[in-house]
Amino acid sequence: MNLTIESIAQDGYHLISLSGDVDTKTAPELLEALTALELAALAELRIEMAAVGFLSSAGLRALVFAKQKMPHASRLVLVGTSAEIAEVIEKTGLTQAVTLVSSHDEA
Amino acid sequence: MAEILIERIDALPTDEIAGLKVRPGKPLPFGVSHAPNGLNFSIYTSAGIACTLVLYRRGDDEPFAELPFPAHYRIGDVFCMVVFGLDCEDLEYGFRIDGPHDPGAGHRFDPSKVLMDPYARLIAGRDVWGEVPNWERPYPYRARVSFDDFDWEAERPLEIPSEDLVIYETHVRAYTQSPSAGTKHPGTYAALVEKIPYLKDLGINAIELMPIYEFDEFENSRIHPDTGDRLYNFWGYSTVGFFAPKAAYAATGSFGMQVDEFKQLVKSFHRAGIEVILDVVFNHTAEGNEHGPTLSFKGLDNKTYYMLTPEGYYFNFSGTGNTLNCNNPIVRNLVLDCLRYWASEYHIDGFRFDLATILGRDPWGAPMPNPPLLESLAFDPILSSCKLIAEAWDAGGLYQVGTFPAFGRWGEWNGKYRDCLRRYLKGDEAQVGQLAQRVQGSPDLYRPSGRSPATSINFITCHDGFTLADLVSFNDKHNEANGEGNRDGGDDNHSWNCGAEGWTEDPGIVALRQRQMMNAMVMLLTSRGTPMLLMGDEFGRSQHGNNNAYCIDSPISWVDWSLLETNAPLHRLVKALIAFRHRHPALRVNQFDAPGSNLFPSCSFHGTEAWSPDWSDQSRQLAWLMSTNLPQPDGGVDAIYVATNMAHYASWFHFPSLPHGFRWHLCFNTGDTAQPCHAGEPPLDAGGILVGDRSVVVLKAMAC
Repeated sequence: MNLTIESIAQDGYHLISLSGDVDTKTAPELLEALTALELAALAELRIEMAAVGFLSSAGLRALVFAKQKMPHASRLVLVGTSAEIAEVIEKTGLTQAVTLVSSHDEA
Repeated sequence: MAEILIERIDALPTDEIAGLKVRPGKPLPFGVSHAPNGLNFSIYTSAGIACTLVLYRRGDDEPFAELPFPAHYRIGDVFCMVVFGLDCEDLEYGFRIDGPHDPGAGHRFDPSKVLMDPYARLIAGRDVWGEVPNWERPYPYRARVSFDDFDWEAERPLEIPSEDLVIYETHVRAYTQSPSAGTKHPGTYAALVEKIPYLKDLGINAIELMPIYEFDEFENSRIHPDTGDRLYNFWGYSTVGFFAPKAAYAATGSFGMQVDEFKQLVKSFHRAGIEVILDVVFNHTAEGNEHGPTLSFKGLDNKTYYMLTPEGYYFNFSGTGNTLNCNNPIVRNLVLDCLRYWASEYHIDGFRFDLATILGRDPWGAPMPNPPLLESLAFDPILSSCKLIAEAWDAGGLYQVGTFPAFGRWGEWNGKYRDCLRRYLKGDEAQVGQLAQRVQGSPDLYRPSGRSPATSINFITCHDGFTLADLVSFNDKHNEANGEGNRDGGDDNHSWNCGAEGWTEDPGIVALRQRQMMNAMVMLLTSRGTPMLLMGDEFGRSQHGNNNAYCIDSPISWVDWSLLETNAPLHRLVKALIAFRHRHPALRVNQFDAPGSNLFPSCSFHGTEAWSPDWSDQSRQLAWLMSTNLPQPDGGVDAIYVATNMAHYASWFHFPSLPHGFRWHLCFNTGDTAQPCHAGEPPLDAGGILVGDRSVVVLKAMAC
């Protein structure tokens, strides 16, 4: 399955909308989209996750990589993450890098 | 000015093999490591003559590439190669080694077998517990590449002094597999993390995990001939990979995220102030003897890794088929590399070595006076703050409790403490003399060699043998579920069923068992040395008389958390005792010749008359008084008096008199099993206290 990535600057944050699977084949595309941003100057990055069915270890690492390039006080928010993916994030201790919310209203 | 970046020239390939770009690698570190633009593979074999790197896509049975190492890719006995353009996440790798197949000379090379990297840090193939494997699979345990990029934040190992530890021995799966545990992912690291609040509340500050190095629960798996139940390698004392956490214990194992999940476990325990100690098995591997499978060492360099008879058969000091050749310098370095990796990469606080005396045997099996492996571990700079704990015996008959070569660093599971406490508890005669040694940290065993009380890991129960509830409910083992006709498991249990074998409604017997469990816990937690509890004993966990549940994955071996409610008074007592131990430094003095306090000697013994213990063989009564001055600014005195009466009648114990301004206060009395804990009550008026039959009383001195 392919991954579609839309990257749009919003008021106060940057939004990346993902659709598809982030696996070993598509994670490099995500990483590319992330590194194309001015991460060091970004206060908030939101990833729309509702249409992501699978997020592999490489995908998770791409997200943590982005967070580490962002300013210390910045936020990396995952919106609408499936329960299964959220659990992997929680169990492996990545919640310290990302904030999980169910909708943009919560973010 | 624009920054000019020059790419390292070693980031470029020099050759092409099997369609992949490669260059000669670096021999260290062994295993696979990340190199610029590629992966560095390094593998040792002294007697092998040729090596091939075998690469698979994840889960495939057939490799996508086989890369023979060119002659100039070998340095000494190490083949090494950097391969470019590989997808780390989708990669599984192994090696083929060609060399002589001459078992009589110790060589068992077989290039038809793909061998697992002994340094593999991530191993796939047994990702989900209990999923029946495909035995035909040519390469069953599959080395993968791990990322070692976990964010520890500022967390570091706790370095709690050994004498202040209260260790809790646990099996990852058994602890939470029962539905009564109420965890989201039963039987996993993640579920164990869910139990941290419980463990913190209990008060323990070290958790010792039974093996978590990758093992195969299907090793020697079989069907019970009578019941039809499947029996497993449940405990896991048979290592497949020394550098990899068991995948099937990870809720995220099917994602290959077990490394991160286990690190998150360690980090979470450390945040709760609890150390993590690993039970490690370096005495043998999962490859068995000449009839066992060739997985890794056997095909890499059999003669180096295993102790062999002159005819090339396997020595069996471990009782499991083979014996790792720990004092060969190559194997010694493997063990050292392994422990350093776990200490630095996983922040592990300590290691308990299964059948550790094997680590002190020479390549022909003879015990060495100065075993180089034990010495290396004791003086290693990276392991310097790790606890090193030996199970100081092996299956080859070597018993070294008290004489294990410790180099001032090693602690020991004190099997003599266990046996003495059990015998005293059940009322055996001629125990009080030895008991006096045991409760003060076994100076008879450890003082002559200059060791301290915390050398002694005191325990009454551990995974191997009866649980505490079974110790007071069964005279004999009942291991029928193990499918070996009740022949397996130890017979020297020193247990007593209190009047009926197994479960009974008899209120007198039930009450006595409650009291005996409480007596055991009080004596254990008021002894000097480092106490260790077995999971669930604090609420009366039972294995229904099975004293060797190594192969049982069922409610027999799983912790039944509903007992927490059933045995609430016992749990309350243990919690109170642990807190009491943490509060009272007199119980944790880590010096045999300590000066004592302003009131009392450091440790003194008493009988029903103060200062006059009855050391006779018929005596079943002993009291001990432990005391130390408290550090400034309080500057007070800590004095704890423990009176134990294992006779079948009550006795009046005259306690040692206190100087003016001090009074004795009652803290615990197991004579009343419903309310054994006491606090804030008025001081004792009389010059003594009645200690009921088979009961223990604890007092503390307080200024009035």
